[in-house]
Amino acid sequence: MMEKNGHILTVSSVTKTFDGVRALDDVSFSVRSGDIKALIGPNGAGKTTLLNAVSGLNPPTTGTVLFEGRDVVGLRTDQIASLGMSRTFQLIRLFTINNATVLDNVLLGAHMYLKPTLLGTVFLRRKIKGQEREATSKAMDLLKLVGLEKEAHALPGSLSFGNQRLLELARALMTDPKMLLLDEPASGLNDAEVEDFTRLLMTIKQQGVTILIVEHNMKLVMNIADDIIVLDFGKKLAEGSPSAICANPDVIAAYLGVQSKECGVRE
Amino acid sequence: MNALKRYWWLILLAAIAVYPIIGKPSPYRSGLLIFAGIYIILAVGLDLLMGYTGQISVGHAAFFAVGAYTSGILTAKYGFSPAAAMGVGVVFSATLAFLTGRPVLALKEYYLAMATLAFNEIVVTLIIGFEGLTGGASGLRDIPPFTIFGFSLLNHLHYYYFVWIVVVLVIASSIAVVRSPFGRALIAIHSDEQAARSFGVDCAKYKTRAYMLAAVYASIAGSLFAHYMGFIAPDDFGILTSINLLVMLFLGGIGTIFGPALGALFLKLLPEVTYQFQDYELLINGVILIVVLVFFPRGLFGILTALKNKIVPRTGK
Repeated sequence: MMEKNGHILTVSSVTKTFDGVRALDDVSFSVRSGDIKALIGPNGAGKTTLLNAVSGLNPPTTGTVLFEGRDVVGLRTDQIASLGMSRTFQLIRLFTINNATVLDNVLLGAHMYLKPTLLGTVFLRRKIKGQEREATSKAMDLLKLVGLEKEAHALPGSLSFGNQRLLELARALMTDPKMLLLDEPASGLNDAEVEDFTRLLMTIKQQGVTILIVEHNMKLVMNIADDIIVLDFGKKLAEGSPSAICANPDVIAAYLGVQSKECGVRE
Repeated sequence: MNALKRYWWLILLAAIAVYPIIGKPSPYRSGLLIFAGIYIILAVGLDLLMGYTGQISVGHAAFFAVGAYTSGILTAKYGFSPAAAMGVGVVFSATLAFLTGRPVLALKEYYLAMATLAFNEIVVTLIIGFEGLTGGASGLRDIPPFTIFGFSLLNHLHYYYFVWIVVVLVIASSIAVVRSPFGRALIAIHSDEQAARSFGVDCAKYKTRAYMLAAVYASIAGSLFAHYMGFIAPDDFGILTSINLLVMLFLGGIGTIFGPALGALFLKLLPEVTYQFQDYELLINGVILIVVLVFFPRGLFGILTALKNKIVPRTGK
Protein backbone atom coordinates (compact mmCIF):
# COMPACT_ATOMS: atom_id res chain seq x y z
CA MET A 1 0.00 0.00 0.00
CA MET A 2 3.04 2.33 -0.19
CA GLU A 3 2.07 5.41 -2.15
CA LYS A 4 4.27 6.60 -4.95
CA ASN A 5 6.61 9.47 -3.95
CA GLY A 6 4.78 9.82 -0.65
CA HIS A 7 1.62 10.97 -2.45
CA ILE A 8 -1.53 9.85 -0.68
CA LEU A 9 -3.78 11.22 -3.43
CA THR A 10 -3.03 11.47 -7.14
CA VAL A 11 -5.66 12.94 -9.45
CA SER A 12 -4.89 12.44 -13.15
CA SER A 13 -6.66 14.07 -16.11
CA VAL A 14 -10.00 14.29 -14.33
CA THR A 15 -12.80 15.68 -16.47
CA LYS A 16 -16.39 16.11 -15.37
CA THR A 17 -19.11 17.17 -17.77
CA PHE A 18 -22.68 18.05 -16.89
CA ASP A 19 -24.88 18.05 -20.01
CA GLY A 20 -21.98 19.12 -22.18
CA VAL A 21 -20.68 21.73 -19.73
CA ARG A 22 -17.13 20.98 -18.68
CA ALA A 23 -17.12 21.62 -14.96
CA LEU A 24 -13.69 20.05 -14.68
CA ASP A 25 -11.33 19.98 -17.62
CA ASP A 26 -8.33 17.67 -17.52
CA VAL A 27 -7.32 18.44 -13.94
CA SER A 28 -4.24 16.70 -12.52
CA PHE A 29 -2.55 17.19 -9.18
CA SER A 30 -1.35 15.22 -6.21
CA VAL A 31 -1.28 15.62 -2.45
CA ARG A 32 1.73 14.60 -0.38
CA SER A 33 1.06 12.48 2.67
CA GLY A 34 0.80 14.62 5.79
CA ASP A 35 0.45 17.92 3.92
CA ILE A 36 -2.28 20.51 3.99
CA LYS A 37 -3.14 21.31 0.41
CA ALA A 38 -5.43 24.20 -0.37
CA LEU A 39 -7.74 24.32 -3.37
CA ILE A 40 -8.64 27.90 -4.28
CA GLY A 41 -10.32 29.70 -7.14
CA PRO A 42 -13.27 31.92 -8.02
CA ASN A 43 -16.86 30.81 -7.44
CA GLY A 44 -17.94 28.28 -10.02
CA ALA A 45 -14.37 27.22 -10.75
CA GLY A 46 -15.22 23.60 -9.97
CA LYS A 47 -13.71 23.24 -6.49
CA THR A 48 -16.66 21.42 -4.90
CA THR A 49 -17.11 19.39 -8.09
CA LEU A 50 -13.49 18.28 -7.71
CA LEU A 51 -14.02 17.27 -4.06
CA ASN A 52 -17.14 15.33 -5.07
CA ALA A 53 -15.22 13.63 -7.86
CA VAL A 54 -12.53 12.56 -5.40
CA SER A 55 -14.95 11.37 -2.71
CA GLY A 56 -17.16 9.54 -5.19
CA LEU A 57 -20.27 11.58 -4.47
CA ASN A 58 -20.24 12.63 -8.12
CA PRO A 59 -17.68 10.50 -9.96
CA PRO A 60 -15.57 12.00 -12.77
CA THR A 61 -16.57 11.45 -16.39
CA THR A 62 -13.01 10.47 -17.30
CA GLY A 63 -9.68 10.36 -15.49
CA THR A 64 -8.31 8.50 -12.49
CA VAL A 65 -8.16 9.20 -8.79
CA LEU A 66 -5.54 7.18 -6.93
CA PHE A 67 -5.94 7.05 -3.15
CA GLU A 68 -2.95 5.32 -1.56
CA GLY A 69 -2.13 3.91 -4.95
CA ARG A 70 -5.58 2.48 -5.56
CA ASP A 71 -7.90 3.75 -8.29
CA VAL A 72 -11.12 4.72 -6.52
CA VAL A 73 -13.10 5.87 -9.56
CA GLY A 74 -16.08 3.56 -9.85
CA LEU A 75 -16.15 2.72 -6.15
CA ARG A 76 -19.24 3.81 -4.20
CA THR A 77 -18.95 6.79 -1.89
CA ASP A 78 -19.27 4.59 1.19
CA GLN A 79 -16.48 2.31 -0.08
CA ILE A 80 -14.17 5.27 -0.71
CA ALA A 81 -15.02 6.67 2.74
CA SER A 82 -14.17 3.31 4.30
CA LEU A 83 -10.69 3.44 2.74
CA GLY A 84 -9.96 6.37 5.06
CA MET A 85 -11.21 9.48 3.30
CA SER A 86 -13.63 11.65 5.23
CA ARG A 87 -15.11 15.06 4.56
CA THR A 88 -17.17 18.05 5.59
CA PHE A 89 -19.69 19.85 3.43
CA GLN A 90 -19.93 23.39 2.10
CA LEU A 91 -23.59 23.51 3.09
CA ILE A 92 -23.69 21.91 6.51
CA ARG A 93 -25.20 18.44 6.41
CA LEU A 94 -25.79 17.15 9.92
CA PHE A 95 -28.16 14.36 10.92
CA THR A 96 -31.20 15.87 12.58
CA ILE A 97 -34.06 13.35 12.27
CA ASN A 98 -35.50 11.55 15.33
CA ASN A 99 -33.90 14.05 17.73
CA ALA A 100 -30.38 12.91 16.84
CA THR A 101 -28.04 14.78 19.19
CA VAL A 102 -24.64 16.36 18.67
CA LEU A 103 -23.11 13.22 20.19
CA ASP A 104 -25.14 10.97 17.87
CA ASN A 105 -23.75 12.86 14.90
CA VAL A 106 -20.18 12.28 16.01
CA LEU A 107 -20.93 8.63 16.83
CA LEU A 108 -22.10 8.01 13.29
CA GLY A 109 -18.49 8.62 12.29
CA ALA A 110 -17.69 5.28 13.95
CA HIS A 111 -19.93 3.45 11.47
CA MET A 112 -17.20 2.39 9.09
CA TYR A 113 -15.21 0.44 11.65
CA LEU A 114 -18.09 -0.74 13.85
CA LYS A 115 -19.93 -2.04 10.76
CA PRO A 116 -23.07 -2.88 12.78
CA THR A 117 -25.05 -5.90 11.61
CA LEU A 118 -28.74 -6.47 12.23
CA LEU A 119 -28.34 -9.90 13.83
CA GLY A 120 -25.46 -8.69 15.99
CA THR A 121 -27.53 -5.74 17.14
CA VAL A 122 -30.43 -7.97 18.24
CA PHE A 123 -28.51 -10.94 19.63
CA LEU A 124 -25.10 -9.65 20.79
CA ARG A 125 -26.29 -6.92 23.12
CA ARG A 126 -23.29 -7.07 25.43
CA LYS A 127 -20.75 -6.70 22.62
CA ILE A 128 -22.69 -3.79 21.11
CA LYS A 129 -22.92 -2.03 24.47
CA GLY A 130 -19.16 -2.38 24.99
CA GLN A 131 -18.48 -0.94 21.54
CA GLU A 132 -20.89 1.89 22.21
CA ARG A 133 -19.16 2.81 25.47
CA GLU A 134 -15.76 2.90 23.77
CA ALA A 135 -17.07 4.92 20.83
CA THR A 136 -18.84 7.35 23.15
CA SER A 137 -15.69 8.10 25.12
CA LYS A 138 -13.77 8.66 21.89
CA ALA A 139 -16.56 10.91 20.56
CA MET A 140 -16.51 12.95 23.77
CA ASP A 141 -12.73 13.41 23.39
CA LEU A 142 -13.26 14.74 19.88
CA LEU A 143 -16.04 17.05 21.05
CA LYS A 144 -13.63 18.33 23.67
CA LEU A 145 -11.00 18.86 20.97
CA VAL A 146 -13.36 21.11 18.99
CA GLY A 147 -14.78 22.67 22.18
CA LEU A 148 -18.29 21.26 22.01
CA GLU A 149 -18.24 18.81 24.92
CA LYS A 150 -20.87 20.81 26.80
CA GLU A 151 -23.24 20.58 23.83
CA ALA A 152 -23.00 16.79 23.48
CA HIS A 153 -26.66 16.21 24.30
CA ALA A 154 -28.01 19.27 22.50
CA LEU A 155 -29.70 19.11 19.12
CA PRO A 156 -27.41 20.15 16.24
CA GLY A 157 -29.96 22.76 15.16
CA SER A 158 -29.46 24.65 18.40
CA LEU A 159 -25.76 25.22 17.70
CA SER A 160 -24.37 28.38 16.15
CA PHE A 161 -23.29 28.18 12.53
CA GLY A 162 -19.63 28.08 13.49
CA ASN A 163 -20.22 25.32 16.00
CA GLN A 164 -22.13 23.28 13.43
CA ARG A 165 -19.03 23.45 11.23
CA LEU A 166 -16.90 22.26 14.16
CA LEU A 167 -19.35 19.43 14.76
CA GLU A 168 -18.97 18.36 11.11
CA LEU A 169 -15.22 18.32 11.65
CA ALA A 170 -15.53 16.21 14.82
CA ARG A 171 -17.79 13.78 12.95
CA ALA A 172 -15.23 13.50 10.15
CA LEU A 173 -12.40 12.91 12.64
CA MET A 174 -14.40 10.15 14.34
CA THR A 175 -13.82 7.99 11.25
CA ASP A 176 -10.05 7.91 11.94
CA PRO A 177 -9.41 9.37 8.49
CA LYS A 178 -6.12 9.20 6.66
CA MET A 179 -7.27 12.15 4.62
CA LEU A 180 -9.80 14.92 5.21
CA LEU A 181 -11.60 16.84 2.49
CA LEU A 182 -12.85 20.15 3.89
CA ASP A 183 -15.23 22.21 1.77
CA GLU A 184 -15.05 25.88 2.83
CA PRO A 185 -14.90 25.01 6.54
CA ALA A 186 -14.24 28.62 7.58
CA SER A 187 -17.00 30.34 5.63
CA GLY A 188 -19.31 32.17 8.00
CA LEU A 189 -16.81 32.11 10.86
CA ASN A 190 -15.75 35.38 12.50
CA ASP A 191 -12.08 36.35 12.86
CA ALA A 192 -11.65 34.89 16.32
CA GLU A 193 -13.30 31.64 15.23
CA VAL A 194 -11.03 31.47 12.18
CA GLU A 195 -8.00 31.75 14.45
CA ASP A 196 -9.23 28.91 16.66
CA PHE A 197 -9.99 26.92 13.57
CA THR A 198 -6.48 27.47 12.20
CA ARG A 199 -4.97 26.09 15.41
CA LEU A 200 -7.35 23.13 15.27
CA LEU A 201 -6.28 22.27 11.71
CA MET A 202 -2.63 22.41 12.71
CA THR A 203 -3.36 20.01 15.60
CA ILE A 204 -5.07 17.63 13.22
CA LYS A 205 -2.16 17.86 10.80
CA GLN A 206 0.28 17.04 13.60
CA GLN A 207 -1.63 13.82 14.17
CA GLY A 208 -0.65 12.78 10.66
CA VAL A 209 -3.92 13.46 8.83
CA THR A 210 -3.56 14.76 5.29
CA ILE A 211 -5.92 17.63 4.47
CA LEU A 212 -7.28 18.90 1.17
CA ILE A 213 -9.12 22.15 1.92
CA VAL A 214 -11.28 24.33 -0.31
CA GLU A 215 -11.25 27.81 1.17
CA HIS A 216 -11.81 31.45 0.21
CA ASN A 217 -10.28 32.94 3.35
CA MET A 218 -6.80 33.66 2.01
CA LYS A 219 -5.39 34.54 5.39
CA LEU A 220 -6.31 31.06 6.63
CA VAL A 221 -4.96 29.45 3.46
CA MET A 222 -1.65 31.30 3.63
CA ASN A 223 -1.23 30.39 7.27
CA ILE A 224 -1.77 26.66 6.96
CA ALA A 225 -1.19 25.46 3.39
CA ASP A 226 1.96 23.62 2.43
CA ASP A 227 0.90 23.66 -1.16
CA ILE A 228 -1.85 25.33 -3.22
CA ILE A 229 -3.70 24.46 -6.40
CA VAL A 230 -5.74 27.13 -8.21
CA LEU A 231 -8.75 26.25 -10.37
CA ASP A 232 -10.40 28.59 -12.84
CA PHE A 233 -13.25 27.63 -15.21
CA GLY A 234 -12.66 23.97 -14.41
CA LYS A 235 -9.00 24.07 -15.39
CA LYS A 236 -5.89 24.02 -13.30
CA LEU A 237 -4.50 27.54 -13.41
CA ALA A 238 -1.50 27.08 -11.16
CA GLU A 239 -0.02 24.80 -8.53
CA GLY A 240 2.79 25.43 -6.11
CA SER A 241 3.96 26.81 -2.79
CA PRO A 242 1.97 29.67 -1.19
CA SER A 243 4.65 32.22 -2.04
CA ALA A 244 4.82 31.08 -5.66
CA ILE A 245 1.02 31.25 -5.98
CA CYS A 246 1.00 34.76 -4.51
CA ALA A 247 3.52 35.93 -7.07
CA ASN A 248 1.82 34.26 -10.02
CA PRO A 249 0.37 36.98 -12.31
CA ASP A 250 -2.30 34.63 -13.74
CA VAL A 251 -3.59 33.84 -10.25
CA ILE A 252 -3.64 37.50 -9.27
CA ALA A 253 -5.55 38.39 -12.41
CA ALA A 254 -8.07 35.56 -12.15
CA TYR A 255 -8.66 35.32 -8.44
CA LEU A 256 -6.51 37.04 -5.85
CA GLY A 257 -6.93 40.56 -7.27
CA VAL A 258 -8.01 42.79 -4.41
CA GLN A 259 -7.22 40.06 -1.89
CA SER A 260 -3.56 40.02 -2.81
CA LYS A 261 -2.61 41.99 0.29
CA GLU A 262 -3.58 38.92 2.33
CA CYS A 263 -0.77 37.11 0.60
CA GLY A 264 2.39 36.67 2.54
CA VAL A 265 0.67 37.02 5.90
CA ARG A 266 2.42 34.31 7.84
CA GLU A 267 2.13 34.25 11.57
CA MET B 1 -37.17 9.31 33.57
CA ASN B 2 -34.22 7.00 32.87
CA ALA B 3 -35.83 4.29 34.96
CA LEU B 4 -38.92 4.51 32.76
CA LYS B 5 -36.72 4.30 29.69
CA ARG B 6 -35.01 1.20 31.01
CA TYR B 7 -37.80 -0.70 32.74
CA TRP B 8 -40.83 0.06 30.53
CA TRP B 9 -41.07 -3.62 29.66
CA LEU B 10 -41.54 -4.63 33.30
CA ILE B 11 -44.47 -2.25 33.61
CA LEU B 12 -45.92 -3.50 30.35
CA LEU B 13 -45.47 -7.16 31.35
CA ALA B 14 -47.10 -6.48 34.71
CA ALA B 15 -50.05 -4.78 33.04
CA ILE B 16 -50.41 -7.66 30.59
CA ALA B 17 -50.28 -10.23 33.40
CA VAL B 18 -52.65 -8.41 35.72
CA TYR B 19 -55.30 -7.31 33.24
CA PRO B 20 -57.11 -10.68 32.86
CA ILE B 21 -57.18 -11.11 36.66
CA ILE B 22 -58.71 -7.71 37.31
CA GLY B 23 -60.67 -7.26 34.09
CA LYS B 24 -61.93 -10.85 33.77
CA PRO B 25 -62.34 -10.25 30.04
CA SER B 26 -64.86 -12.09 27.93
CA PRO B 27 -63.47 -14.00 24.91
CA TYR B 28 -64.60 -11.03 22.85
CA ARG B 29 -62.61 -8.56 24.95
CA SER B 30 -59.44 -10.60 24.96
CA GLY B 31 -59.95 -11.12 21.25
CA LEU B 32 -59.85 -7.36 20.78
CA LEU B 33 -56.59 -7.20 22.69
CA ILE B 34 -55.16 -10.05 20.62
CA PHE B 35 -55.96 -8.11 17.44
CA ALA B 36 -54.49 -4.97 18.96
CA GLY B 37 -51.30 -6.89 19.82
CA ILE B 38 -51.02 -8.25 16.28
CA TYR B 39 -51.38 -4.76 14.86
CA ILE B 40 -48.81 -3.39 17.30
CA ILE B 41 -46.29 -5.88 15.92
CA LEU B 42 -47.09 -4.71 12.38
CA ALA B 43 -46.98 -1.01 13.24
CA VAL B 44 -43.71 -1.20 15.19
CA GLY B 45 -42.03 -2.98 12.27
CA LEU B 46 -43.30 -0.40 9.81
CA ASP B 47 -42.05 2.35 12.13
CA LEU B 48 -38.50 0.98 11.82
CA LEU B 49 -38.79 1.28 8.06
CA MET B 50 -40.69 4.58 7.86
CA GLY B 51 -40.09 6.46 11.09
CA TYR B 52 -36.41 5.62 11.39
CA THR B 53 -35.11 4.74 7.92
CA GLY B 54 -37.43 7.21 6.20
CA GLN B 55 -38.65 4.76 3.54
CA ILE B 56 -42.38 4.82 2.96
CA SER B 57 -44.29 1.60 2.40
CA VAL B 58 -47.93 1.64 1.38
CA GLY B 59 -47.90 -2.12 1.02
CA HIS B 60 -46.77 -3.49 4.33
CA ALA B 61 -49.80 -5.80 4.55
CA ALA B 62 -48.12 -7.89 1.81
CA PHE B 63 -45.76 -9.42 4.38
CA PHE B 64 -48.66 -9.81 6.82
CA ALA B 65 -50.28 -11.90 4.07
CA VAL B 66 -47.14 -13.92 3.40
CA GLY B 67 -46.89 -14.87 7.08
CA ALA B 68 -50.57 -15.67 7.42
CA TYR B 69 -50.80 -17.76 4.26
CA THR B 70 -47.52 -19.61 4.85
CA SER B 71 -48.74 -20.58 8.32
CA GLY B 72 -52.28 -21.32 7.11
CA ILE B 73 -51.28 -23.46 4.13
CA LEU B 74 -48.51 -25.40 5.87
CA THR B 75 -50.59 -26.26 8.94
CA ALA B 76 -54.00 -26.81 7.33
CA LYS B 77 -52.80 -28.70 4.24
CA TYR B 78 -49.38 -30.16 5.02
CA GLY B 79 -49.62 -30.94 8.72
CA PHE B 80 -46.76 -28.67 9.84
CA SER B 81 -46.68 -27.66 13.50
CA PRO B 82 -47.71 -23.98 13.86
CA ALA B 83 -44.33 -22.98 15.32
CA ALA B 84 -42.46 -24.59 12.42
CA ALA B 85 -44.82 -22.98 9.90
CA MET B 86 -44.26 -19.60 11.54
CA GLY B 87 -40.50 -20.15 11.19
CA VAL B 88 -40.87 -21.01 7.51
CA GLY B 89 -42.98 -17.86 7.06
CA VAL B 90 -40.28 -15.74 8.70
CA VAL B 91 -37.56 -17.17 6.44
CA PHE B 92 -39.78 -16.79 3.38
CA SER B 93 -40.69 -13.18 4.19
CA ALA B 94 -37.10 -12.23 4.95
CA THR B 95 -35.99 -13.77 1.65
CA LEU B 96 -38.73 -12.00 -0.27
CA ALA B 97 -37.81 -8.69 1.37
CA PHE B 98 -34.14 -9.32 0.63
CA LEU B 99 -34.82 -10.00 -3.06
CA THR B 100 -37.28 -7.13 -3.61
CA GLY B 101 -35.65 -4.66 -1.20
CA ARG B 102 -32.77 -3.41 -3.35
CA PRO B 103 -34.72 -2.59 -6.51
CA VAL B 104 -37.77 -1.25 -4.68
CA LEU B 105 -35.88 0.84 -2.12
CA ALA B 106 -33.70 2.37 -4.83
CA LEU B 107 -36.84 4.39 -5.58
CA LYS B 108 -37.75 7.47 -3.59
CA GLU B 109 -40.84 9.20 -2.27
CA TYR B 110 -43.91 8.92 -4.54
CA TYR B 111 -42.27 6.30 -6.71
CA LEU B 112 -41.44 4.20 -3.69
CA ALA B 113 -45.01 4.60 -2.45
CA MET B 114 -46.36 3.44 -5.82
CA ALA B 115 -43.96 0.47 -5.98
CA THR B 116 -44.88 -0.76 -2.49
CA LEU B 117 -48.56 -0.27 -3.26
CA ALA B 118 -48.13 -2.37 -6.40
CA PHE B 119 -46.24 -5.01 -4.40
CA ASN B 120 -49.21 -5.31 -2.03
CA GLU B 121 -51.59 -5.66 -4.99
CA ILE B 122 -49.39 -8.30 -6.65
CA VAL B 123 -49.25 -10.42 -3.49
CA VAL B 124 -53.03 -10.24 -3.04
CA THR B 125 -53.61 -11.04 -6.72
CA LEU B 126 -51.29 -14.05 -6.50
CA ILE B 127 -53.16 -15.31 -3.43
CA ILE B 128 -56.47 -15.04 -5.28
CA GLY B 129 -54.94 -16.62 -8.40
CA PHE B 130 -53.39 -19.72 -6.77
CA GLU B 131 -56.79 -20.92 -5.69
CA GLY B 132 -55.83 -24.55 -5.27
CA LEU B 133 -53.22 -23.65 -2.67
CA THR B 134 -54.71 -20.60 -1.00
CA GLY B 135 -58.45 -21.08 -1.34
CA GLY B 136 -58.57 -18.03 -3.60
CA ALA B 137 -61.03 -15.24 -3.01
CA SER B 138 -63.24 -17.37 -0.78
CA GLY B 139 -60.46 -17.83 1.74
CA LEU B 140 -58.48 -20.55 3.47
CA ARG B 141 -60.25 -22.56 6.19
CA ASP B 142 -59.48 -25.08 8.93
CA ILE B 143 -56.30 -23.46 10.19
CA PRO B 144 -55.60 -25.12 13.57
CA PRO B 145 -54.97 -23.11 16.75
CA PHE B 146 -51.39 -22.40 17.81
CA THR B 147 -49.57 -25.07 19.80
CA ILE B 148 -46.32 -24.83 21.75
CA PHE B 149 -44.64 -28.10 22.73
CA GLY B 150 -47.91 -29.89 22.12
CA PHE B 151 -49.81 -27.49 24.35
CA SER B 152 -52.72 -25.98 22.44
CA LEU B 153 -53.42 -22.27 22.88
CA LEU B 154 -57.10 -22.70 22.11
CA ASN B 155 -58.07 -20.85 25.27
CA HIS B 156 -58.42 -17.16 24.45
CA LEU B 157 -56.52 -16.07 27.57
CA HIS B 158 -53.59 -18.35 26.82
CA TYR B 159 -53.40 -16.93 23.32
CA TYR B 160 -53.70 -13.40 24.69
CA TYR B 161 -50.63 -14.01 26.89
CA PHE B 162 -48.72 -15.59 24.01
CA VAL B 163 -49.40 -12.74 21.58
CA TRP B 164 -48.51 -10.06 24.11
CA ILE B 165 -45.24 -11.73 25.05
CA VAL B 166 -44.37 -11.59 21.36
CA VAL B 167 -45.41 -7.90 21.40
CA VAL B 168 -42.98 -7.19 24.26
CA LEU B 169 -40.18 -9.04 22.45
CA VAL B 170 -40.83 -7.13 19.24
CA ILE B 171 -40.86 -3.75 20.99
CA ALA B 172 -37.75 -4.64 23.01
CA SER B 173 -35.78 -5.77 19.97
CA SER B 174 -36.89 -2.68 18.05
CA ILE B 175 -35.73 -0.41 20.86
CA ALA B 176 -32.43 -2.29 20.94
CA VAL B 177 -32.06 -1.74 17.20
CA VAL B 178 -32.83 1.98 17.17
CA ARG B 179 -30.64 2.76 20.19
CA SER B 180 -27.59 1.14 18.58
CA PRO B 181 -25.00 2.00 15.93
CA PHE B 182 -27.24 0.14 13.49
CA GLY B 183 -30.19 2.40 14.31
CA ARG B 184 -27.95 5.45 14.03
CA ALA B 185 -27.10 4.42 10.48
CA LEU B 186 -30.83 4.18 9.70
CA ILE B 187 -31.43 7.67 11.10
CA ALA B 188 -28.50 8.99 9.07
CA ILE B 189 -30.05 7.54 5.90
CA HIS B 190 -33.35 9.19 6.83
CA SER B 191 -31.65 12.57 7.40
CA ASP B 192 -29.38 12.73 4.38
CA GLU B 193 -28.48 9.73 2.24
CA GLN B 194 -25.50 11.34 0.55
CA ALA B 195 -24.00 12.46 3.83
CA ALA B 196 -24.61 8.99 5.29
CA ARG B 197 -22.73 7.47 2.33
CA SER B 198 -19.84 9.83 2.95
CA PHE B 199 -19.48 8.24 6.37
CA GLY B 200 -19.31 4.72 5.03
CA VAL B 201 -22.98 3.76 5.29
CA ASP B 202 -23.93 1.37 2.49
CA CYS B 203 -27.42 2.85 2.15
CA ALA B 204 -28.91 0.16 -0.11
CA LYS B 205 -27.79 -2.55 2.30
CA TYR B 206 -29.07 -0.87 5.45
CA LYS B 207 -32.39 0.09 3.89
CA THR B 208 -32.84 -3.54 2.84
CA ARG B 209 -31.99 -4.75 6.35
CA ALA B 210 -34.63 -2.47 7.87
CA TYR B 211 -37.11 -3.68 5.25
CA MET B 212 -36.29 -7.30 6.10
CA LEU B 213 -36.79 -6.74 9.82
CA ALA B 214 -40.12 -5.03 9.22
CA ALA B 215 -41.11 -7.94 6.94
CA VAL B 216 -40.15 -10.52 9.58
CA TYR B 217 -42.29 -8.78 12.21
CA ALA B 218 -45.21 -8.56 9.77
CA SER B 219 -44.83 -12.22 8.94
CA ILE B 220 -44.94 -13.20 12.63
CA ALA B 221 -48.03 -11.02 13.02
CA GLY B 222 -49.58 -12.81 10.04
CA SER B 223 -48.94 -16.24 11.55
CA LEU B 224 -50.44 -15.16 14.88
CA PHE B 225 -53.45 -13.78 13.01
CA ALA B 226 -54.03 -16.93 10.95
CA HIS B 227 -53.99 -19.26 13.95
CA TYR B 228 -56.29 -17.04 15.95
CA MET B 229 -58.84 -16.63 13.16
CA GLY B 230 -58.73 -20.18 11.83
CA PHE B 231 -59.91 -18.68 8.55
CA ILE B 232 -58.19 -16.07 6.40
CA ALA B 233 -59.21 -14.31 3.19
CA PRO B 234 -57.39 -11.92 0.82
CA ASP B 235 -59.52 -9.00 2.07
CA ASP B 236 -57.66 -9.03 5.38
CA PHE B 237 -54.38 -8.16 3.64
CA GLY B 238 -55.31 -5.54 1.06
CA ILE B 239 -54.15 -1.97 0.61
CA LEU B 240 -56.77 -0.83 3.10
CA THR B 241 -54.91 -2.74 5.82
CA SER B 242 -51.65 -1.12 4.75
CA ILE B 243 -53.23 2.31 4.90
CA ASN B 244 -54.68 1.58 8.32
CA LEU B 245 -51.14 0.83 9.46
CA LEU B 246 -50.00 4.21 8.19
CA VAL B 247 -52.81 5.86 10.13
CA MET B 248 -51.67 4.03 13.29
CA LEU B 249 -48.12 5.33 12.75
CA PHE B 250 -49.10 8.95 12.35
CA LEU B 251 -51.80 8.83 15.00
CA GLY B 252 -49.43 7.38 17.59
CA GLY B 253 -46.37 9.45 16.64
CA ILE B 254 -44.06 8.17 13.92
CA GLY B 255 -40.41 7.43 14.66
CA THR B 256 -40.83 6.63 18.35
CA ILE B 257 -41.59 2.85 18.44
CA PHE B 258 -43.94 3.35 21.42
CA GLY B 259 -46.04 5.85 19.45
CA PRO B 260 -47.08 3.49 16.65
CA ALA B 261 -47.72 0.79 19.27
CA LEU B 262 -50.01 3.24 21.04
CA GLY B 263 -51.62 4.20 17.75
CA ALA B 264 -52.38 0.56 16.95
CA LEU B 265 -53.83 -0.06 20.40
CA PHE B 266 -55.92 3.09 20.22
CA LEU B 267 -57.29 2.45 16.73
CA LYS B 268 -58.15 -1.17 17.53
CA LEU B 269 -59.89 -0.34 20.83
CA LEU B 270 -61.56 2.88 19.70
CA PRO B 271 -64.57 1.09 18.13
CA GLU B 272 -65.27 -0.31 21.62
CA VAL B 273 -66.00 3.19 22.83
CA THR B 274 -67.64 4.61 19.76
CA TYR B 275 -69.90 1.67 18.88
CA GLN B 276 -72.51 3.07 21.26
CA PHE B 277 -73.02 5.92 18.86
CA GLN B 278 -73.98 3.35 16.25
CA ASP B 279 -74.57 5.16 12.99
CA TYR B 280 -72.14 7.89 13.90
CA GLU B 281 -69.31 5.51 14.75
CA LEU B 282 -67.26 6.07 11.58
CA LEU B 283 -67.88 9.80 11.72
CA ILE B 284 -66.62 10.02 15.30
CA ASN B 285 -63.56 7.90 14.52
CA GLY B 286 -62.78 10.19 11.63
CA VAL B 287 -63.15 13.33 13.72
CA ILE B 288 -60.82 11.97 16.42
CA LEU B 289 -58.22 11.17 13.79
CA ILE B 290 -58.41 14.60 12.21
CA VAL B 291 -58.23 16.37 15.56
CA VAL B 292 -55.17 14.41 16.66
CA LEU B 293 -53.35 14.79 13.36
CA VAL B 294 -54.08 18.50 12.98
CA PHE B 295 -53.52 19.64 16.55
CA PHE B 296 -50.98 17.09 17.74
CA PRO B 297 -48.65 16.40 14.83
CA ARG B 298 -46.39 14.36 17.07
CA GLY B 299 -49.27 12.03 17.80
CA LEU B 300 -50.53 10.40 20.96
CA PHE B 301 -47.03 9.61 22.16
CA GLY B 302 -46.10 13.25 21.68
CA ILE B 303 -49.06 14.26 23.88
CA LEU B 304 -47.99 11.79 26.56
CA THR B 305 -44.35 12.91 26.59
CA ALA B 306 -45.45 16.55 26.75
CA LEU B 307 -47.69 15.73 29.73
CA LYS B 308 -44.94 13.78 31.44
CA ASN B 309 -42.47 16.62 30.96
CA LYS B 310 -44.99 18.95 32.55
CA ILE B 311 -45.46 16.75 35.61
CA VAL B 312 -41.81 15.72 35.92
CA PRO B 313 -39.81 18.67 34.54
CA ARG B 314 -36.72 17.64 32.61
CA THR B 315 -33.62 18.34 34.61
CA GLY B 316 -30.34 18.87 32.81
CA LYS B 317 -30.02 16.53 29.87
